[in-house]
Amino acid sequence: MNVQLAEYLHRHLGDVDHVVVEDLVPIPGGFSRETFRFDARVTRGGVEEVLPLILRKNPPSAAAILETSRQVEHELLEAIRAHTEIPVSRSYGAETDTSVFGEAAMVIERMHGKSQTSELFNGGVDASQADAVMRHLCEVLVELHTTEVATLNVGGQLSDPRGVGIDASSWDAYMDSTFEYYVSSYPSLNYDPAAMIMLDAALTLRRHKPRPLPLCLVHGDFNPANFLYDEGRVTALIDWENSRVGDPREDLGWMVAMDGMSNTAVMSHPRDEGGFLAYYNKLTGFAVTSEELGYFILFGTMNIAVPVASAIKRRVDHEHEQFLHLYLLQPSSATLVAFTQLLGYPGAPA
Amino acid sequence: MNTSPGIDGLLEGVVLGIGNELMPYLSNEKAQASAAMMQSILQAVRQIIPMFDAALIDEHNAMTVTLRTAAECLAAVTGEEADAVRARASSIGQRADYPAPPDREEVVRAHTDLGRALEASILDLDVIQREGGAPGAAADEALAVIRAHLAPRYLRDFQAITVGAGFLGRS
Repeated sequence: MNVQLAEYLHRHLGDVDHVVVEDLVPIPGGFSRETFRFDARVTRGGVEEVLPLILRKNPPSAAAILETSRQVEHELLEAIRAHTEIPVSRSYGAETDTSVFGEAAMVIERMHGKSQTSELFNGGVDASQADAVMRHLCEVLVELHTTEVATLNVGGQLSDPRGVGIDASSWDAYMDSTFEYYVSSYPSLNYDPAAMIMLDAALTLRRHKPRPLPLCLVHGDFNPANFLYDEGRVTALIDWENSRVGDPREDLGWMVAMDGMSNTAVMSHPRDEGGFLAYYNKLTGFAVTSEELGYFILFGTMNIAVPVASAIKRRVDHEHEQFLHLYLLQPSSATLVAFTQLLGYPGAPA
Repeated sequence: MNTSPGIDGLLEGVVLGIGNELMPYLSNEKAQASAAMMQSILQAVRQIIPMFDAALIDEHNAMTVTLRTAAECLAAVTGEEADAVRARASSIGQRADYPAPPDREEVVRAHTDLGRALEASILDLDVIQREGGAPGAAADEALAVIRAHLAPRYLRDFQAITVGAGFLGRS
């Protein structure tokens, strides 16, 4: 793959004389991409520099859980860099010709910063930075949520990136079409009658639509593992592949859910502002309530549960033999218990 | 409990996973042989499970008869050993038969049918709930009954697979 990467960089970097790819190694990360880190030793006009880079590659289509476009992600990252102060990687371009890397891929800048965000909590070595980092993280999220959607939604491709009929022309249309997506997806995900709680969740969400807020670009996987930090600042917000137009409370709800599962405490900071939500409300004036967060935890969990359960069903129906999709039954059992809590099932664990 | 995939589907998936996603990448011959033996054992388990309960009960019931019949053959024999055989026939050999287990596939089908019926009811209840009023309130109550049935099932399933090393990262 080193040769293909070097040729790719030649094409996308423009006026370079020589490129050598070094230290290519796979790393965990991303919602469902295959990710590699490497350095590119680039010679330009006789001057050599080393570019720290990441290759994000689609998995084989049979193994894909969430089909997203690297070209759209590339354009989004570049739009964010051009129009906001949100720290994100530079993207060098998408390679949609699958003959190059085997699947569609993109190369992005490997950002500076620490990825072990768990060190910010529970007495970790960087616990003293937690307040400052979460304050900045909140400010970054607020900037994302208050940036004019059209500025970042290049070509409208993030209005319905999964191509499932989402109508983002208004908040009501967005919510209604998303409910329709959840409910109509059910036959494609009910690998077992036990999945009926997801049907209940989709219908319950539809029956209890909350008050509207302005649509915005949501990160789509805003969780305690998806940012880098250093010296009290967020140095990068990462993993944008599930980004789309949505309700800003989706990112908050997902963070609450993942904060609990990760045993982190993002939502408790900055303490002097009364926590993440209070600071977010102070900056945006959105006055998001804890009840609304509960709603959007369920809404956001469904957003992930639909493609995951659909992947399980394709495996159960023997459309392919990917082992990962069978293994997903195990974490899914934990998710179904979480659904009982979120829906307030009688007898659900507290 | 999930009926789809059931136990056999899970075991089949592991057998296929070993073959498709592990064996092609094993360069050590001993490791390849171990992987093949794992597949063989899992395949045997797949074949044993469907007949295990029935075979156990069938053999249990047949053994009591065998003990009694063997003792009858010694009717004219005296001595300590013959007495011991007769004693077994008149004690453990008198145990009652166990009834034959229900056909597992039939139980799975019946369970699935009922699950699909609850699933369809959730959809119907949603229509009534959206109408509101007294019918809506009644449908709320009916949904709560279904939810009360389901909650302990999800918890039991989760607990069943998270015991010990049953869930990666939780052992």
